[in-house]
Amino acid sequence: MTETGPLLSVRDLEKHYPVGGGLLSKPSGAVRAVDGISFDIARGETLGLVGESGCGKSTAANSIVRLEEPTGGEVLFHGGGRGGRPRNDDGIHPDDVTRFGRTEMKAFRREVGMIFQDPASSFDPRMPVGDSIAEPLSVHGLDDGRRRRAVVEDLLERVGLGAADYGRYPHEFSGGQKQRLALARALVLNPELIVADEPVSALDMSIQADILGLLDRVQSEFGLSLLFISHDMSVVREICDRVAVMYLGEIVEIGPTESVLEAPRHPYTEALVSAIPTPDPRTTNRGIELRGSVPDPADPPDGCRFHTRCHAVVQPPDLDLDRTTWRRLLDFRLTIEAGEVDAEAIEGRARTAASGDDGGGSSAAERLRAAFDLPGTVSDPDVEADLAAAIEAVLDGEDGRAAERLRSTVRTPCERRHPESVDHGGGHESACIRHDPEVRAAREWPEQQ
Amino acid sequence: MTDPPLLEVENLTTSFETDAGRLVAVDGLDVTVERGETVCLVGESGSGKTVATESITRLIDEPPGSIEGTVRFRGRDLGELSEPELRSLRGSEIAHVFQNPQDAMNHCYTVGWQIAEAIRVHEDVSRETARARAIDLLDRVGIANAAARIDDYPHEFSGGQKQRAMIAMALATEPALLLADEPTTALDVTVQARILRLLDDLKAEYGMGVLFITHDLGVVSEIADRIVVLYAGKVMERGDPLDIFERPAHPYTRRLLGCLPGVGSDHGGIPGSLPDPTDPPDGCRFAPRCEHAVEACSRGDQPAEIEVGPDHWVSCVHYHEGYDASVLSAEATTADGVLGAATDGEREEERSDD
Repeated sequence: MTETGPLLSVRDLEKHYPVGGGLLSKPSGAVRAVDGISFDIARGETLGLVGESGCGKSTAANSIVRLEEPTGGEVLFHGGGRGGRPRNDDGIHPDDVTRFGRTEMKAFRREVGMIFQDPASSFDPRMPVGDSIAEPLSVHGLDDGRRRRAVVEDLLERVGLGAADYGRYPHEFSGGQKQRLALARALVLNPELIVADEPVSALDMSIQADILGLLDRVQSEFGLSLLFISHDMSVVREICDRVAVMYLGEIVEIGPTESVLEAPRHPYTEALVSAIPTPDPRTTNRGIELRGSVPDPADPPDGCRFHTRCHAVVQPPDLDLDRTTWRRLLDFRLTIEAGEVDAEAIEGRARTAASGDDGGGSSAAERLRAAFDLPGTVSDPDVEADLAAAIEAVLDGEDGRAAERLRSTVRTPCERRHPESVDHGGGHESACIRHDPEVRAAREWPEQQ
Repeated sequence: MTDPPLLEVENLTTSFETDAGRLVAVDGLDVTVERGETVCLVGESGSGKTVATESITRLIDEPPGSIEGTVRFRGRDLGELSEPELRSLRGSEIAHVFQNPQDAMNHCYTVGWQIAEAIRVHEDVSRETARARAIDLLDRVGIANAAARIDDYPHEFSGGQKQRAMIAMALATEPALLLADEPTTALDVTVQARILRLLDDLKAEYGMGVLFITHDLGVVSEIADRIVVLYAGKVMERGDPLDIFERPAHPYTRRLLGCLPGVGSDHGGIPGSLPDPTDPPDGCRFAPRCEHAVEACSRGDQPAEIEVGPDHWVSCVHYHEGYDASVLSAEATTADGVLGAATDGEREEERSDD
């Protein structure tokens, strides 16, 4: 009965880092690096965790294996002969890694192997690689040196190196070979789960293919589960059974790799997928452009965290502008709210530009519109009136009034509600309010199939 | 038409004296870049891509390095220029983007100051104009809120942002030629897409030529007008993207394409590893790893480049007289079949459209 059910269940995992504060003062806030993520990994399954840099992928992985202490949530690990146990009376699960004591933790470390991005910095340059690989064995009580050596030599061969490499030093190996060594070390305690954090990002394409092939083989040979962290969607496509897409500490979409990558349901996934360069010279599709960068995780946007950059951000029911104009209007409002509209800089730039040609024919308001790619007039009269008033306020230096005026029409449902995860069938879920029946009804979108 | 090419590299050979002997990193490289053209130099690490670009503007220290061959920029032989002349050329007309942004920025000055400085060194403009241009550039490379970030120091930028600031700095003087060494490898795909788009725009805007170095074939197919495939310091094959991706001629190119995630059937990469650069094998450099190698492959020098299609050149014995190149295509399905094999008729049509 222990062999059914997922090997790893992560529930509402959180890792917040306090910001500010000192010896005597309390922290003033928190960077919500990982903010309530949940997923399962089945036995023998590979789950990919993808997202842009800074979205919390690595923090999530480190929190799961407790290289960093999570600040909330549960990590249920049912391997190592555990599993099938019910929750205690106080609601605490006996398999919860975040509550493991010293002994349990040591056992857990034996059952989980890790591979890091930079193979060069994960080996001691002054220790023969064989000893590095054998170290976990002695830590976990295999005192017989000859047996340790035999185990390691066998592993070296299994990862495509030779037993003779035991006594060589890290600098004698290439990047790809070092990653093979790292894999050997991760496997040495015969774990059930491997957490691989960008294991091939630092490698060349031909070596990448090599290591991915090896991972694949080793995984089926040892019956491993794999948590595979990567920002490279094409690698994920190659190796993962399921994929979870993270944005600003949250999972926005999760499902079988094929359906997530072929038919993404969250706009963020859509943008990520469309940005993958395709090795087909006939298509030069540059995809959806994501403007700006990932917002500050210490102060994530309200509602859907992606709404500040989303190309498909929803309009209120009474509006029907084209997507680009709507996006620009929202950008304009968000920039004002952030206090980042520098009317003087725009004027200054206009002056420099005008010194060459006769660009001086436009008014300050027109130049501001041009700087934000806003149209000369917005088709909706109410929005246009608010926009014109806001621009005037900005030029008068009254950003507060401008933002307030804009907020009366330029507002999106996306910023008001945090989207719930919606099941699209086949284990494919995404969290976007466009899938919310209420929003669909208000926008007169057909119910989704 | 009579204009000389923007960049003309002939028989460029860069070697280093090492304890282990003379290491030839780039061995007889020929490459040209025209105005408004993007040429991609593709190869694995250790194939000599970086050394090749650094040799073009003589950034390699001599000694221990030694650069031979001719490099002409707009018809001028760079080898005849003095160091001060070269220095004024670097950064203004020929700009470099390096792989590692950490090493290429001064930690003691703000990012904006450094970009504005780059502009003011090469152009006589006011401080305000330079600053306004710096903001504009940062904005174009996708730094959010550029007007405020311009006064930040490099350590306040993330790695990806630093890389983008580097690109902004390189583009600040509107260089005629950009030598970009893996400029997007460290970036997220979303940012990468944006940078590629920007390079494309600049190409169209004022005819910037780009020599783009990368090992990422996906990126290559997005931006390249022409591709040069390097292996162990030697050119294996050159041609346009359709040549390289749809009818690759060299066994190495085929294996490389087979490594593409999601495309190749080549699970397991290319067996073997790069040859020792201090003691390269005789004949074709790829022969020791090539499944089609015959005895002639390991004799003499790298085979001469043979034109197998219009402007599509390959350095492989099997295309020489007396050999049958069809032995190579026996398993060419890896590259040909998967990447959407068009019939020959269709290919000819595509060609005339180009």
